[in-house]
Amino acid sequence: MQGTTDVRSSDSNGSLWRKPVSGVVKTLLLVYAAVTLYPLYWLMISAFKSNQEFFNRPYAWPQNFQIDNITRAWDLGKMGQALINSTIVTLAAVVLTIVLGTLAAYALERFTFKMNNIIKGIFLLGMLIPIHSTLVPLFIFMNKIGLLDTYWSLILPYTAFELPIAIFLGMAYLASIPREVEEAAMIDGNGWWGVFGRIIFPLCLPVISTVTILAFLRFWNDFSFALVFINSQALKTLPLSLSLFSDGFGTDYSLTMGAMFIAVIPTIVIYLIFQEQIMKGMVAGSVKG
Amino acid sequence: MPASLRSKSFVVLALLPALLIFLVFAIIPIFWSAYYGFFDWKGLGAAKFIGLNNYEMMLQDPIFWRALKNNLILVASAIIGQVPIALLLALLLLKNSWFNRLLRSAVFLPMVLSTVVVGLIWGYIYHPQIGLLNQVLEVLGLDSWTRAWLDDPKINMFAVSIPINWANIGPYLIIFIAALQNISSEIGDAAKIDGAIGWRKLFYVTLPIIWGTVVVTIVLCISGSLKAFDHVIVMTGGGPAQSTELLATYMYNNSFTIYRYGYGSAVSTMIILISALLIGLNYIITKRRG
Repeated sequence: MQGTTDVRSSDSNGSLWRKPVSGVVKTLLLVYAAVTLYPLYWLMISAFKSNQEFFNRPYAWPQNFQIDNITRAWDLGKMGQALINSTIVTLAAVVLTIVLGTLAAYALERFTFKMNNIIKGIFLLGMLIPIHSTLVPLFIFMNKIGLLDTYWSLILPYTAFELPIAIFLGMAYLASIPREVEEAAMIDGNGWWGVFGRIIFPLCLPVISTVTILAFLRFWNDFSFALVFINSQALKTLPLSLSLFSDGFGTDYSLTMGAMFIAVIPTIVIYLIFQEQIMKGMVAGSVKG
Repeated sequence: MPASLRSKSFVVLALLPALLIFLVFAIIPIFWSAYYGFFDWKGLGAAKFIGLNNYEMMLQDPIFWRALKNNLILVASAIIGQVPIALLLALLLLKNSWFNRLLRSAVFLPMVLSTVVVGLIWGYIYHPQIGLLNQVLEVLGLDSWTRAWLDDPKINMFAVSIPINWANIGPYLIIFIAALQNISSEIGDAAKIDGAIGWRKLFYVTLPIIWGTVVVTIVLCISGSLKAFDHVIVMTGGGPAQSTELLATYMYNNSFTIYRYGYGSAVSTMIILISALLIGLNYIITKRRG
């Protein structure tokens, strides 16, 4: 009895305090969020200022919005070309990752064969490899076979390093799909390829969309592979062009801000639309890695 | 064709492309790297076999040890910074209200930004003349605190670690929220009856239950911090005078700035060995405690 009254008293004590305390906590949380978002906010407002305004009123809302920085970054800074390059490379690598990853996941989840566990182990091991330790050997190898400084020099390594996540997320999802579905399709005269193309792939669309978003973010934002494998101005992706921007245009800060604005907008739009999926997917991907 | 053979050929054809790309571009490079590490090679001309010479040079190079120390600073700052902040935020943002969801999204947002953008923005924030940080300090009357944050070798590693922590808290927050939401309400009720509330509940009930998750986040901090490269290349390039060099930037600068491919390969191999060692060590230590 003593115990229950104690609980009640501590409870009422708690509710007495709860309101003001939670108000303070909420305010602190809001401050934390504001500090987190401030650098991004600063980038956004600076992108629309002239250099003079950028120096004189760095924190103020732009006096008159001017898109001059963005148009100049697009033409002069070749951000338009970089946007096209990033799109091509990202799209190709995403498609490869999805098709090959889902196929491999299906084979590994549904079929028992001698090498099954070994192959799973190899893919698992691959998730632990620090990407940078492959830069030198890949550079030498791709130089030898003439892949260096082409779209493929990015598409293939991107795919390779995203495949483990695609495969393990795919396998986890496939495990939840009953086998009866495939057996029925087999009876209808489909081979394994037919079953995969007509039944499995469409059924996997939820997990495929998660993998697509994760792969998009990783490829779109990649810097290190592009830095080492790409040299021609015409092939540079967004992050690579951006990194060279501050060198090339020196103190033209608002121009760089405009260029960053171009690079950041696609990811932010995708994030705003798919945030729940991105948060869950990134966590699943990183924990498995 | 018999059914078993048909399924066999399907498995082979379904697996082969993925396996091939993965082996050629992710696994085999590690072995090449280990192999090239035994050579003196400038990229042009013949490679000269020099045995363990590259490793000897590395161990005698003070810059290598500085790079390793800087990497460990990043690991420590991630474990001290990201994990407790993420756990605290997770405890406060546990309930799925719209307010909490909004804040979670805000904390996670930097994670989806390009590392180059993060590096450039923070480079501006730290800028000695136009930088946000110095200007804020001046407004607050703390003029004596203003400095060239990325140039001063005493503090620039800590300045570099802040944006990396800032960008990476999101996933840990989500991991902790998932773990905390998995604790059944019965345990919370039982703890309350036993008088465990507030901090006592956190240390004697909640933390032991989610200890496995804490270990996972620490392992992620270690492997994540060893991967650090982009932010530093963009903000400092490893300088000034190699004071912010990390293992990865040390490898990069040796290989692609002064074209010592053999030496760079040896450093690459070292990075793999060190991360395997650290992750293994952490696994053993936390396993014993847990």
